[in-house]
Amino acid sequence: MSARSERPPATAATVLRLLPPSLLLPLLAVLAAFAIGCLLVLAMGVAPTKAIAAFADGAFGSAYAISVSLNRAVVFALVGLGFVLANRANLTNVGGEGQIAVGGIAATALALQDGIAGLGLGLAFILPMLGAVLAGAFWGGIAGVLKVRAGTNEVISTLLLSFIAIWLVYWCVQSEDLLRQSMTTSATLPESAEIAEAAQLPLLTGDYAAPVTIGLPIAVVLAGLIAVLLGRSRFGFNLRAVGLNPVAAARAGIAQRRTVVLALTIAGAFGGLAGAMMLLGEQWSLKAGFSSGYGFDGLVVGLLARGSVPGVIAGALLFGFLRSGGISMEMVAAVPTALVMVIQGLIVLAVAGAAFWLDRREAAR
Amino acid sequence: MTWEILAVFMGSSLRLAVPILLGGIGELVSERAGVLNMSVEGMMLAGAFAGALGAWATGSPELGLLCAILAVLPVSLLQAWLSNSLRANQIVTGLGINILVLGATTLAYREIFGARSREAIPGFDKWSPPLLGDLPVFGEALFTQVWLVYLALALVLATGFVLRHTSLGIAIKAAGEDPRAVDKSGLSVLAIRYGVVLFCGFTASLAGAFLSIGDIHTFTEGMTNGVGYLAIAAVIFGNWKLGRAVFACLLFGGATALQFQLPALGLQVPTALLIMLPYLLAFLAVAGLVGRQTAPAVLTVPYRRG
Repeated sequence: MSARSERPPATAATVLRLLPPSLLLPLLAVLAAFAIGCLLVLAMGVAPTKAIAAFADGAFGSAYAISVSLNRAVVFALVGLGFVLANRANLTNVGGEGQIAVGGIAATALALQDGIAGLGLGLAFILPMLGAVLAGAFWGGIAGVLKVRAGTNEVISTLLLSFIAIWLVYWCVQSEDLLRQSMTTSATLPESAEIAEAAQLPLLTGDYAAPVTIGLPIAVVLAGLIAVLLGRSRFGFNLRAVGLNPVAAARAGIAQRRTVVLALTIAGAFGGLAGAMMLLGEQWSLKAGFSSGYGFDGLVVGLLARGSVPGVIAGALLFGFLRSGGISMEMVAAVPTALVMVIQGLIVLAVAGAAFWLDRREAAR
Repeated sequence: MTWEILAVFMGSSLRLAVPILLGGIGELVSERAGVLNMSVEGMMLAGAFAGALGAWATGSPELGLLCAILAVLPVSLLQAWLSNSLRANQIVTGLGINILVLGATTLAYREIFGARSREAIPGFDKWSPPLLGDLPVFGEALFTQVWLVYLALALVLATGFVLRHTSLGIAIKAAGEDPRAVDKSGLSVLAIRYGVVLFCGFTASLAGAFLSIGDIHTFTEGMTNGVGYLAIAAVIFGNWKLGRAVFACLLFGGATALQFQLPALGLQVPTALLIMLPYLLAFLAVAGLVGRQTAPAVLTVPYRRG
């Protein structure tokens, strides 16, 4: 008993030691990447305090900044959740970017349809959102069908589908027959007309000073659903069985092929929904390259989470705030956002590499 | 007149195909050994930047090329170490490296060149082989190219020979089909896979240097702009066979060149469709609509001994 009272006070070091390694390593990776980022800022001759202040201001300095960061995090979280679900069946969905893109196209096309904006009961934004979910599900489902029909590696098919979708967006906003706003002057930008306010996502606060959309509660509810689905449902069990040993799963009477198609379809649906959130929530008009990097960041969030739903949320928040802070750093402290890319790249590589030691620990146990 | 248009089109197709081809050769060898090297895009960008920086600092494009090759070495080693020794997910490490290189080169470019961004960077002169260069029309438009173009063609032949006729080639292909058998025969799968990633880094650095100091004599932020991914698509469309992959690279180069040629000819084809075409073709190929695709059996699967 006396030994307990003599225990040293909880310092940072002891706290770190108490954390499980699956949390500790990503945390250390993030800290190390930030430290390198600070060194780079120093090397560029900018006072780190100034850069950090600008970063913090842009990430969580105001209600507006926090809202924007949260909206970004929602997009990452949705893509990440879809990734984790498909990954449970040992499928790697690299197609988040394309699923966002087709979701964005569908949401814009529906929101701009005559009559949609006039619908009551929230249908004005719910219908475009559902359209985006279907479009994303279709885009992801293609990869699933190809996987079970032709044995196509889903990494390759989803990657290629992403590029195709990115250029589909470009096509849509370049052609007046598709979604480009009608050309009034030669200076009309190649983008779609603006989505009417009724079809935009409602703000939680109802105030543009803090534009958190209802995407946030939707994402939280979906995260809970996915956690239950993966952990406690028959479908979650099937996914895991197919992921561990498809042959054994088929012998045990699990519809292996249907599970694979369904898993990639759901992952795609989440990507499509993320695209709807971006268009209906903050961008309001379709532009070429609107998805730039969001899908790949979401994929990385899903991977770094190592299959855990809380991990997806943590990663999504980290990347959401990182992106916002980086943009502010460029504007205020003249430190290029490229610095954030460096930090992000380092985090990804460190965590991906650290998986080696984590897996070994888990295997030893 | 039409011959001239054809010659110009073929010349610009070749010029646009060369970076895809250079990246694609390395990517093909790497994938045949089981490593899907997504970082080929980042490797190219690192090569393009280091090549431009080296050429600008020394005034010699040859030294710039050397800088490009050396600068990509640590990038390739990082990719090889993460994906082979640490058995990290190859897609993730590839994407991570691409983000890192894009950030690092943009940062370094602004720091070093910054206000001097319009300064001329010395690059390679065009050259034409003795007989071909003297041909009417085609000699000037098609065969007068930077020597890296001819190096790329030579590399294709050399790679084809090694893959098909040497024990090294057999070992590389076996590492992507049945690594355990390679291991049992006393060869190191790890060594082979490190080697192929380093080779891919080498060819990607040439591709990058071609873009910056070979083709346009300058560097712009993120200038590879997906050429590395096109190389991956070409390997897939080429069904992991060298000949078909080379054809795919030339086809993709041609599709890119058409973007600039068709409007000049007064033809209305959506640019987006032409840019999308390579990916669409690669997709149709993997979807099984263009013959049967056979990827290396253990592509993206790290090898674990014992």
